[in-house]
Amino acid sequence: MAAVKLENWVERIRDPKIECMSSDEMAALQSRRLVDVVNRVYNNVDFYHKKMKDLGVEPGDIKGIEDIGKLPFTTKEDLRDNYPFGLLAIPKKDVVRVQGTSGTTGKLTLASYSQKDVDVWGECVARCLTMAGLTDEDIIHVCYGYGLFTGGMGLDYGAKALGATAIPMSAGNTKRQMMCMEDFGSTAFACTPSYALHLAESLEEAGVVDRLKLKAGIHGAEPWTVEMRKKIESILNINCFDIYGLCEISGPGVAQDCIHHAGLHINVDYFYPEVLNPSTYEACADGETGELVFTTLAKEAMPLLRYRTKDLTSIDHSTCACGRTTPRISKFTGRTDDMKVIRGVNVFPTQVETALLGMGGAVAPHYLMIVDREDNLDVLTVMVEVDESMFSDEIRKLDALKNKIGAVLKQALGVSARVKLVEPKTIQRSEGKAVRVIDNRNLQ
Amino acid sequence: MIKQLSVFVENRPGSLMRVTSALTEAHINIRAVASFDTPEFGILRLVVDKPAEAKEYLTGKGFVVRIHEVIGVELKDEKGNLNRMLSILADGEINVNYIYSFVIREEKAPVMVFNTDDYDKAARVLKEAGVKMVEEADL
Repeated sequence: MAAVKLENWVERIRDPKIECMSSDEMAALQSRRLVDVVNRVYNNVDFYHKKMKDLGVEPGDIKGIEDIGKLPFTTKEDLRDNYPFGLLAIPKKDVVRVQGTSGTTGKLTLASYSQKDVDVWGECVARCLTMAGLTDEDIIHVCYGYGLFTGGMGLDYGAKALGATAIPMSAGNTKRQMMCMEDFGSTAFACTPSYALHLAESLEEAGVVDRLKLKAGIHGAEPWTVEMRKKIESILNINCFDIYGLCEISGPGVAQDCIHHAGLHINVDYFYPEVLNPSTYEACADGETGELVFTTLAKEAMPLLRYRTKDLTSIDHSTCACGRTTPRISKFTGRTDDMKVIRGVNVFPTQVETALLGMGGAVAPHYLMIVDREDNLDVLTVMVEVDESMFSDEIRKLDALKNKIGAVLKQALGVSARVKLVEPKTIQRSEGKAVRVIDNRNLQ
Repeated sequence: MIKQLSVFVENRPGSLMRVTSALTEAHINIRAVASFDTPEFGILRLVVDKPAEAKEYLTGKGFVVRIHEVIGVELKDEKGNLNRMLSILADGEINVNYIYSFVIREEKAPVMVFNTDDYDKAARVLKEAGVKMVEEADL
């Protein structure tokens, strides 16, 4: 129970030499690392050797970070085509672990790590934990899943690098999570934002919030809104942070926001970001939204050149109020994968979340979007749970509420939505990534 | 004045039963029941013998429940008696939002339950006309 107000916040920076480096020095470091990684993949990975040959690019053409645009892209499909070990740049015996993501379709996407890759990963997460105000005295309750999913191991490695105590709870069994959180005196917890909200509400219902020692929440692996962060923060009286990462690049810890919540600081000494216009592939100016593309600058086992993340964001290279010079990407509006085109309008689940939470507590933030096609017309239904504060004994008042939610959603999304009020706790709570959209359209 | 529970229920098979089975588990007696529906959801209104306990138990089971005050009026089981009571309310300019009746109670007289925006006035008008109102102890 200890949210810290911005004016009382003491900023801690784990590696000021890197995190506050001048842009010239950083560019020099990135250039050295890029030249090195290009040589390694050209010489050791058939896939990249061929791709570069096809484009007519030789390693010698890459003299510095400014030449990155000459390099080929890598897509998720390329990873699938080379599944499981086709993109290795080191002997297989030097791979110390693998992690993977299931994705919604087809096979796993698998990523391999050398011992150094694991150490870098832990170091990046430790920077993020430090950014969240945590030190080697903290007890970090990790309720991300442990397994192929990078969440659990990533936070675990980060806690280890920081010297903090990790509690490897893994996901699920909310009652036990609550008991351990109280008994062990956890000072921070890490999980997806949707599970964080579920856990926060369960702790509140059980009346144990006052007995907890929590001060920070580290949440990521799915897009969430500022309103959702504030909701979790206010229930638990803590500060929450948005951690970002993806298994292909390393895992959580690629970027995270600081107490100023003015974008997520990227660990650019290891992961070089580009924000590109998704149709022209030209670089976006600061503040312009495009697809985030990463090049791993120091990865040994499975380096990737210009990996297209499908995450949409914008970038800001200005120095942050926290003192860090590392560029910041804006909070994600969603993945190109999550985006639904409904009657020609792009709709992200996060827009629904923002709209519902913006109704001043009138509506619970548990929702499910269902997209159907009726008579060749897309129909969006948003299921919203009724809670005690919004429930009225009178049908006309419930109808009025339903109409009001519909109007707010139409305003926010630009397409009309049917609102369906449902009983509390009937929308499934996730213990990992929340399912926010069901698309029943069969467009094939 | 008596208390009525209102429960939000979705309009689908078994949803009313889930409420009544929860009340059975909690050993609550239902005295009156009425449901109001729209195509998607409904409100189940109930008068029970132990409203506070019933609300707590249902809430624990995940239902959304509200308690409202309603007026219960005892009528003699004779022709024209409901009309007589409604005339008293109409003359007193009391608006009845909704009305429903108790389930049959052994030897006791029938009871009508109704909701209005102005309880005090309704109670006064009925009392002046000599109509017997049911109190919680009578449940």
